[in-house]
Amino acid sequence: MGWWKAAALAAAVMLVPAAASAQQTTLRIGIASADAGVLDPHLNSTTPGRGFLQHIFSGLVRLRPGELSPENMEPDLAERWESSADGRTWTFHLRRGAQCHHGFGEFTAEDAVFSLRRAATRETSAFSSDYTAFDSVEAVDSHTVRITLKNNIPSLLGVVMNYAGGFMVCKAAVEQMGNEGFRRRPIGTGPFAFAEYVPQQFGRLTAHEGYFRGAPQIREIMYRFVPSDAARDLAFQSGELDMIYGRQDQNWFTRTRALPNVRVVAMQPAEMSVIHLNMTMPPLNDIRVRQAIAHALNRDQVVQLRGRDTSVAAESVVPRGYQGHAAMPLPPHDIARARALLAEAGHPNGITIRSIHTTLTGMMTVMEAAQAQLRRAGITLEITPVEHATFHQQIRQNLSQVVHFQAARFPVADIYLTQFFHSRSIVQTPTAVTNFSHCRVADEQIDAARSETDAARRNALWREAQERIVAEVCGIPIYEQLQLWAYRDSIELGYELRAALNLAPPILHTTRFTR
Amino acid sequence: MSTFIARRCAFALVTLWAVLTLVFFIVRVVPGDPAQVILGEQATADAIAAMRTRLGLDRPLGVQYVEFLWGALRGDWGVSLVTGRPVVQEVLAVLPWTIELTLAALVIGAAAGIPLGVWAAVNRNRATDYVIRLASLLGLSFPAFVSGILLLIFFAIQLRWAPVMSTQGGSFSAWLGALALPAINLGLIMAAYITRVTRSAMLEVLGEDYVRTARAKGVPWRAVVWRHALRNALIPIITIVGLYLGVLIGNSVLTEIVFNRPGLGKLIVGALNQRDYTLLQGMMVIYTFVVIIVNLLTDLAYGAADPRVKLK
Repeated sequence: MGWWKAAALAAAVMLVPAAASAQQTTLRIGIASADAGVLDPHLNSTTPGRGFLQHIFSGLVRLRPGELSPENMEPDLAERWESSADGRTWTFHLRRGAQCHHGFGEFTAEDAVFSLRRAATRETSAFSSDYTAFDSVEAVDSHTVRITLKNNIPSLLGVVMNYAGGFMVCKAAVEQMGNEGFRRRPIGTGPFAFAEYVPQQFGRLTAHEGYFRGAPQIREIMYRFVPSDAARDLAFQSGELDMIYGRQDQNWFTRTRALPNVRVVAMQPAEMSVIHLNMTMPPLNDIRVRQAIAHALNRDQVVQLRGRDTSVAAESVVPRGYQGHAAMPLPPHDIARARALLAEAGHPNGITIRSIHTTLTGMMTVMEAAQAQLRRAGITLEITPVEHATFHQQIRQNLSQVVHFQAARFPVADIYLTQFFHSRSIVQTPTAVTNFSHCRVADEQIDAARSETDAARRNALWREAQERIVAEVCGIPIYEQLQLWAYRDSIELGYELRAALNLAPPILHTTRFTR
Repeated sequence: MSTFIARRCAFALVTLWAVLTLVFFIVRVVPGDPAQVILGEQATADAIAAMRTRLGLDRPLGVQYVEFLWGALRGDWGVSLVTGRPVVQEVLAVLPWTIELTLAALVIGAAAGIPLGVWAAVNRNRATDYVIRLASLLGLSFPAFVSGILLLIFFAIQLRWAPVMSTQGGSFSAWLGALALPAINLGLIMAAYITRVTRSAMLEVLGEDYVRTARAKGVPWRAVVWRHALRNALIPIITIVGLYLGVLIGNSVLTEIVFNRPGLGKLIVGALNQRDYTLLQGMMVIYTFVVIIVNLLTDLAYGAADPRVKLK
């Protein structure tokens, strides 16, 4: 046989239909990661991990699918709940017959108590600090759970919902397999049960027949890990994926929206980009310098750079859509004013400030734009690019004068304000979270709002806190980046996708293919 | 021969220990905290400290090192700090993917590179030689992720001959279809290397006296080139193939990412990004072991290719 015949035979063997034939009951999702991380809902805070785990676990309550505001809570494992007049005792009545996956029995109050105590323990949970206000959690009877608080918190439902520490695990499964075993085979009560996990390739979920809302119409979810944006796009175009996490920019949005039979969504929660200024380091300890920087930055130009369909200019230090967000005027772009303020502060020839910054492209693009804008006002921003894990360590070591941080949080103003602007969260302290600016001007208002039971007064306190932080220029909010997803229009989600707190569209028991 | 292998095995053990020690300390010197990576950006300093204790990272470095070596001696590589899955399981899950891709690329590289190198050498300074040299230069300078995406657009999207993403299992044809494009992508780079080495080795050999003698005695030109000259030019080719095989495993990461294939390269990059110390250590052992074996096989191949080479 000649070489050309051999080549022709090899080519013939390769002539396989590339795209898997459309399976109307298997949903193939592509996400931008090589792995979902640890498969424990109380430890995993990564975007790919939460998107995967949200289908396995339920909460006592849940946000109505597609919504973001905590006002849209609805029953999940608990069919109803009530709180005492002072807001410190909460009683949840669980629905009967909710089944744990793989035959681990009915979900009862004992499971709920176990799960909440586990979420509140720092050895087993990354979210233990969310539960510090808990005084006790007890099972009143087999289907009633009572939570007693030491003090009021803005959203108790937020920590028992289908998110972070609020994901309910099944006690018998954790006890039987141990924490390590549970992380390899997570057991919950959600619409889909864990079936298989192949590192770097996929996680597979199957329909939970005993799901308390009814058996899911989608029978299987293949959660593919596709870190390359280009490969994910090509796999979507070739029909190998039905739903993908998009590249977070305008070009991708415009190009993908032009594809036939495809829906592209820019959804909440947005990740807000804030430039934090370390107020303890000269020359940033002078408010006039911080104001000059704020005037030198041009939010509209950044939004133009990131894309009008995919981002929006920030209007406070708390993102839009969060309970307690208050829109307010931010320092306008004014180069002359910036130069005048610098001269007034004793820097007529400008200043040099330094920032340790992640190499992540999306964030770096914004910081480079800020660098160019600042230069026009005589401010030199020196950027030291470091790999992402190094960035996270070094900014927490208080090594960077300027910290550019992009984040979404549970949509209640208290979380954002506390983590980024309360003195308890100042980096390099035992209770540190992400207060890089060493801001402490709104502690009183943040604390008062947390224990305030009257909604109007609480909102007023949150507004005052935001105004004080903006006035002090602890951080300069730049823009909000929406979450971009694309999926085939043959998928009927069963709700209007405006937002998804776990950053991936939830697949419900009613979600189905229409063709 | 057996003395040679025994001595190489002894050297291999020392090399393994040295690599293990280096990797153990280097990954801990690099900034970045696995506890921070595991708990995410909302974790408090207290929670991060508790996680470090749970992972045993707060103990003295010497204690961690001794415990790690003792575990390694017993074949216990621990569990991934990030995912909690056993390191051996993680590595073994991707190792077959890496082996099949590397071997396939090697076959493509050798099958294309050796004939092209020979052809260029026998046509030295003619149009054929220039074209082959230019093509090999392109192959060397073309980034693997660009060629990978071009291959995907043409063969997977336009022609639909192969899938975009590699999948596990399936029929032989599905397996071959998924392997073909990444193997070609990596194999073309290897072919470029082999072409250049083969050409220069052949040029040197073709100028030797015995080649002239063979021609003078009337041996057909084809036999002179393929039987006499190429056999004598094989040593540098084997050396480059052996060396490059080790490099290929590490360099395959871009190909693995573009074609969405699991593999050691991708696993190493992921572990490095997440500061997954135990997983990194386990993978470096496997990687070093593979490189040592390949080098040993390369040395043995010298003797097979050229009887004048004695292994002592």
